Amino acid sequence: MSQLRLLLIALCILVPAWMGNHFVVHHEAKPGDPFMPLFMHLMAAPLVSNPETAHAEGPKYLFELDVPGPAAFDADPLKAGTQLVATNLQLFQIAAVLLLFVCFSGVPGHLHNGKGDYVSRLFAGFALWLRDDVVYPAMGKEVGRKFLPYFLALFFFIVFMNLLGLVPGASTATASVFVTAGLALVTLILMVFGGMIAQGPAHYWKTLVPHVPVLIWPIMFAVEFVGIFVKPFALMIRLFANMTGGHMVVLSFMGLIFLLAGMAGHSAAYIASPVLVGFAVFIMIIEAFVALLQAYVFTMLSVMFIQASIHPEH
Amino acid sequence: MILEPTNAIGIAKLGAGLGAGLATIGAGMGIGRIGGSSAEGIARQPEAAGEIRGASIIFAALIEGVALFAIVISLLIIVLEGK
Repeated sequence: MSQLRLLLIALCILVPAWMGNHFVVHHEAKPGDPFMPLFMHLMAAPLVSNPETAHAEGPKYLFELDVPGPAAFDADPLKAGTQLVATNLQLFQIAAVLLLFVCFSGVPGHLHNGKGDYVSRLFAGFALWLRDDVVYPAMGKEVGRKFLPYFLALFFFIVFMNLLGLVPGASTATASVFVTAGLALVTLILMVFGGMIAQGPAHYWKTLVPHVPVLIWPIMFAVEFVGIFVKPFALMIRLFANMTGGHMVVLSFMGLIFLLAGMAGHSAAYIASPVLVGFAVFIMIIEAFVALLQAYVFTMLSVMFIQASIHPEH
Repeated sequence: MILEPTNAIGIAKLGAGLGAGLATIGAGMGIGRIGGSSAEGIARQPEAAGEIRGASIIFAALIEGVALFAIVISLLIIVLEGK
């Protein structure tokens, strides 16, 4: 059972990393500007079935869904209307969901009878830490129990997406602002509708503003109303910018080697490359920590925002 | 002279660099104060180390969020320059 689980985890990491490299059009290196082709790895790349000949005859997308309606997102330039096209980010989102299932398949059994391999023990410990040190102290046991499945899924989904981005050849799904916007949108919906369900719609909008004099009530209401949307927006930008920023620093160190090769000759680049690769490895180690920290911060702040909106302070 | 298109791009890049630097100054001051205060708090009361550490991570994340807004705006200036 333990070997099977480890094999499945390895498959969930390696198969998307291979697919994300094999079915994606690669950018040609431009002489004189080594940075831009490297930074293009941070963009979502659509999956195509003909990566070698896509430049000449146009891309053939692997997964393409025509959506009826007006042309809002024209992903396929050859067709009119709206299309949804799978990119390499979706591979890693699916891989993160599959990893959730694989890693947590043994956890309930371990929590019931104490048996289990070390993958189950590791994630059971993680889940108990999240419950006892993050969700319950902030929300209390009763409300915390109801929201715990969402926060567990959120935390481990973000952790897996962040950590998958550190695998060579992989791309980070959370380094796309659209993925983090989706995650923040769920928090926003839980904040507003959770608050309206817990307190009643009228009471929720009334207690949005604490007790203030009547004259400044409209100003305070406007500030608090904007604040509802600013909080998830900050969550979105924070996760996206942390993930993108770390990768950009690593890619910049790599680009410096090629810049040096163009400016001062290949021998200078060979001499400097151990130092620059060392810096890049150092940043990668920091990123491995940041990947866990940002998932914690996103979850913790979601807990605090949702708690504040379902139980206002008076 | 400033309003010539070629100079405007240079000034946009200058502004993006200045914005990134100034945001770093602000975030550094804020997170430095948090770090100093939390170290002091842990030294005074070592039994509360876990709570203080958790709270300081949250406050650092809140400050960092504001700094990252500035970084994203600087990035937008670089990406959208000349458009």
